Amino acid sequence: MKSKRQMKTEKSEILDKLGKEPGFKVPDGYFEQFAHQLEDKLPEITITDVDEKPSAWIKWRPFVYMAAMFAGVWCMMSIFDRSNGSNDIDRRQAELQQEVTVEENADEAIMSGVISDIDYLIYDDSVAME
Amino acid sequence: MASGKIYDEEKIVEQLHHQETVRSAFSQVIEHYSQPLYWHVRRMVFDHDDANDILQNTFIKAWSNIDNFRGDAKLSTWLYKIAINESITFINKKKQQQNLSLDDDATFMASSLEADPWFDGDAAQVKLQRAIASLPDKQRLVFNMRYYEEMKYEQMSEILGTSVGALKASYHHALKKIEAFFDEHD
Repeated sequence: MKSKRQMKTEKSEILDKLGKEPGFKVPDGYFEQFAHQLEDKLPEITITDVDEKPSAWIKWRPFVYMAAMFAGVWCMMSIFDRSNGSNDIDRRQAELQQEVTVEENADEAIMSGVISDIDYLIYDDSVAME
Repeated sequence: MASGKIYDEEKIVEQLHHQETVRSAFSQVIEHYSQPLYWHVRRMVFDHDDANDILQNTFIKAWSNIDNFRGDAKLSTWLYKIAINESITFINKKKQQQNLSLDDDATFMASSLEADPWFDGDAAQVKLQRAIASLPDKQRLVFNMRYYEEMKYEQMSEILGTSVGALKASYHHALKKIEAFFDEHD
């Protein structure tokens, strides 16, 4: 249903008087002849059938994409693991360094004990000498 | 329908996409749309022979490009667009042949209406056609589609790619100009 405003803007007294018959006409049987004549003029065309079998690429495309996705995930995991692995090596090297230091300290401690023993022996020797 | 077949556009669009059915489907399209498209073109170019040529070109272009029509738009919208492009191209060529600017109106095309054997309107109808011809091409299109074809603004909007508001305004301006033409030529 038209609004009052639309009725108002689309109303014309002149057009109402004239009506909608423009006065054009066509030869008798024009549209029937037109259809037949035109159909004869239409050249051959080739239609790309929408139901045609898809190409091998289109058929395998989802699987290729999925494989690529998994490969990507695997690569990321691999890189992540390698990165963690190098951290472990660093940590192991630090531990080894710490162990070496402890061993060095232990050697020092042992050496100091040896010296004490020598001192003791020297002391003993001095006692013995006396 | 001349053939007596029921026109089922959805089915026909489907048939247009298959090699074995495209020709028979297109024949139905011609039968269904030749009259509305003819009158649409005829109101733009006035002359029967010109309208006949443009209509043929419209269907031949549609046929040649049928593989590109995927049914995203309505078939009628697609055909109207082709017909309008063909009509405007024809009018511009004719203006160039007459050494007129592309901005000039098409009143020269309506001037020979009385001598046209395929026009039997009276003086008032000739005057109305001249008034319509004095409108700019797009306004003339809007006026014809709304006044004679009683097309909905929404469909016109799809065909012409213009907003409904702009089309309503364009139609309103066209009415005012036609009334002014009648006032001036009384």
